[in-house]
Amino acid sequence: MANDDVQKTLADLSRDLQESKARLEEAQRVAHVGHWEWDLETDVVVWSDETYRIFGFNPQERPMDLATVRAMVHEEDRERLYQGVDEDLLAGVRPAAEFRIVRPSGEVRTVYSLTSDRWSSSPGDAKRDASGRPYKLFGTIQDITERKRTEEALKQSYFYLSEGQRLGHMGSWAFNDSGHYWSEELYRIYGLDPKNGAPTVEQYLALIDPQDRASMAETIKRMQEERRGFDQIERIIRPDGQLRYVRAVAVPVVEQGVFKGFVGTTMDVTEHQLLTEELRRERAYLTEAQSLAHVGSWAANFATMQSFHRSDETYRIHGLDPREGPTPLERFWATLHPEDEPVVRATIENAVRTGTDYDIREYRICRAEDGQIRFLRTIGHRNPVGEIGEYVGITMDITEVKRAEEERERLRQLEADLAHINRVNMMGELAATLAHEIKQPIAASITSANACLKWLARDPPDLDRARAAALRIEQDGNRAADVINRLRSFYKKGTPPERGIVDLKELIREMTALLKKETVRHSIKIHSDLNEDMPNVLADRVQLQQVFMNLMLNAIEAMKDGGGKLTITSRRTPEGQLIVSIEDTGVGLPAGNTERIFDAFHSTKPQGTGMGLAITRSIVEAHGGRVWATVNQEAGATFHFTLPARAEADA
Amino acid sequence: MKSTAVPTVFIIDDDRGMRQAIHDLVESIGLRAESFATGEEFLGTKHIGRPSCLVLDVRLPQMSGLDFQRRLAKSGLRIPIIFVTAHGDIPMSVKALKSGAVEFLTKPFRDQDLLDAIQQALERDDIAQKEQAEVADLQKRHQALTLREREVMTLVVSGRLNKQIASEIGTSEATVKVHRGNVMHKMQAASVVDLVRMADKLKLSPAK
Repeated sequence: MANDDVQKTLADLSRDLQESKARLEEAQRVAHVGHWEWDLETDVVVWSDETYRIFGFNPQERPMDLATVRAMVHEEDRERLYQGVDEDLLAGVRPAAEFRIVRPSGEVRTVYSLTSDRWSSSPGDAKRDASGRPYKLFGTIQDITERKRTEEALKQSYFYLSEGQRLGHMGSWAFNDSGHYWSEELYRIYGLDPKNGAPTVEQYLALIDPQDRASMAETIKRMQEERRGFDQIERIIRPDGQLRYVRAVAVPVVEQGVFKGFVGTTMDVTEHQLLTEELRRERAYLTEAQSLAHVGSWAANFATMQSFHRSDETYRIHGLDPREGPTPLERFWATLHPEDEPVVRATIENAVRTGTDYDIREYRICRAEDGQIRFLRTIGHRNPVGEIGEYVGITMDITEVKRAEEERERLRQLEADLAHINRVNMMGELAATLAHEIKQPIAASITSANACLKWLARDPPDLDRARAAALRIEQDGNRAADVINRLRSFYKKGTPPERGIVDLKELIREMTALLKKETVRHSIKIHSDLNEDMPNVLADRVQLQQVFMNLMLNAIEAMKDGGGKLTITSRRTPEGQLIVSIEDTGVGLPAGNTERIFDAFHSTKPQGTGMGLAITRSIVEAHGGRVWATVNQEAGATFHFTLPARAEADA
Repeated sequence: MKSTAVPTVFIIDDDRGMRQAIHDLVESIGLRAESFATGEEFLGTKHIGRPSCLVLDVRLPQMSGLDFQRRLAKSGLRIPIIFVTAHGDIPMSVKALKSGAVEFLTKPFRDQDLLDAIQQALERDDIAQKEQAEVADLQKRHQALTLREREVMTLVVSGRLNKQIASEIGTSEATVKVHRGNVMHKMQAASVVDLVRMADKLKLSPAK
């Protein structure tokens, strides 16, 4: 009986044990955790079924020993694993390690092995040798491959997230009952140290630029009280004093109708904001510039009559209101002056057909708002990457420019006329004075001759009175001759009253400045190449000025239709003479005798007086010099005159 | 009354040669000549009472000949003027002639032209002088009339009959006749027509 009972009990126990073992095995299978035993004396290893499975075997497929297990450990982990175990055992620490194994199929798994402390860490344990080293180790092994992968993936995605935040200057945060979370990038944006944790609301507000602080405080208050999200841009000042623009977006989190807190993102938009402001400014400048210059820009497709862009000024130029918004191209075309419309349309159509640029330099419109006629110029540039008929261009109002040009031209003409009249008047005046001066004695002598005849015709003739009259005739005749002589001697050799030392360089500079307006008007460049050691000359300064004025004006006159270059050079001859040459690139001299041009009243110009060169010669000769002209090889003429360079010797 | 004084030609020219030549030419035909360099000099001398004329240079140093002409007219000195100039133009000559100049000659001129002009000017002056003398005589006679006589004269030359005059001035026709006789006698008028001519010269304004 007792035996039966014992048998029964044993059977029960055995059954219980089997069941426990089965349960354990099942538990191990579900949890992917196996156990192992390692006899350190014999290096025999005993595995649970799950351990076999973890290593890629069928349960209890074959006996195990250390060498076999060792060979299955991934070779990169092997040394570290067993060395670590030895060190731990020696140090009395329970070995625990994560390492990779290679299944017979070649599959690599990551496992975590933990040694039980009951078998290893209690000193004096029966399973230890004299040195305290255990005879046997028992532990669990867990296949953590899946977890590891998940972990890696998580780590990876966290890395991506934080890297993404860093790259995008975007931080994220969460705010709820359990606390306040800031992402790493958020700390960076605010220039704070993550070690100090997320700031409190007060600390946060202190970071906001004083100009935005009140509005942000209000926003946060509303967020907390009304659980409302927000999206706003504010300025912050980092601890290092740098001003940044951030855009903060907050969204309330509601799970199944229950408010859980806020999550949000904060982005550093400084560059974006500055760029936006810059763009806005640029646009304002551009608009202003267009309005000032009366230049409008546009882009359109003339084939489809679509308009892509039109600046405000383009509207204004045509007398349309930019606030009207999209306006069909035809409304702009409708302002064309009926007389110019065919040409404008034909030009653009032709450009579209040939795919070329166009420039309509002048055409008229009747401005939409007031019907005023305005002159425009429009330039279209074919968009080479666009579709057929796509053009970008500008249109400008040239009315004022045109008027100013006309006015300038009118003034210029007037000035020229005046100058001419002046010159003619002056000569007329001179001629009249001369005529009067000479006529007077001639008239007197004729009258005296008449009187003389009358005295002689008397009976008897009054010879005394006749003689007196004849004497007066002689006097008046001489007087007339004197007038002419005086005129000639005006520039003749002798002792001019105003002779002094004249600095020619200075004088040429003066004359160049004086004729500046004249030369600029006719696009003439004055170039002077003067001898550095050019001596001063003893001369009548005013008369020399007149010589330069005459010769330079002649040169300018010769080039006034096409512009050119006026060159003044000077050199000394071995004989001590100074030669000044005034060269132009103008129309040149008439063929034939170039000497005659110096004769009085000999003019080759329609409005010339014929006196300029004659006076020039008189003056130069009065100074003991000579004047002559040569024809240039290329173009134009050169006038030369000499002056005795004796001032230094005299001085 | 016929003037017996020798006619005088005044010459104003700033050019000495010209001045002398004209002076001599004038004398060569037996006329008196007086010459001056400026208009001021001329104004400083007496030259009234004999036929005279003025040979005037248009261009004078201080004052142009035309201005001088105006000044003379203003001062009541009526003397025929012959302009001479070395360079006259048409507008200038028109202006001078319109202002009463006898001639406008351009130097050098033909002597006969000048002498003809002088002759013409002197004749004109002679007539003017005579006219002036006659008016002065008439004025003297007119001033010799009593106030009543002057009144009657005015009414007579206005064509009123004695009867009308009597009623207008409030007296008898007989008295008017007496006044009228006195007027005719004092004014030395041969007829009413003569009296009318005299009134005209005296520039008496007719009665209304």
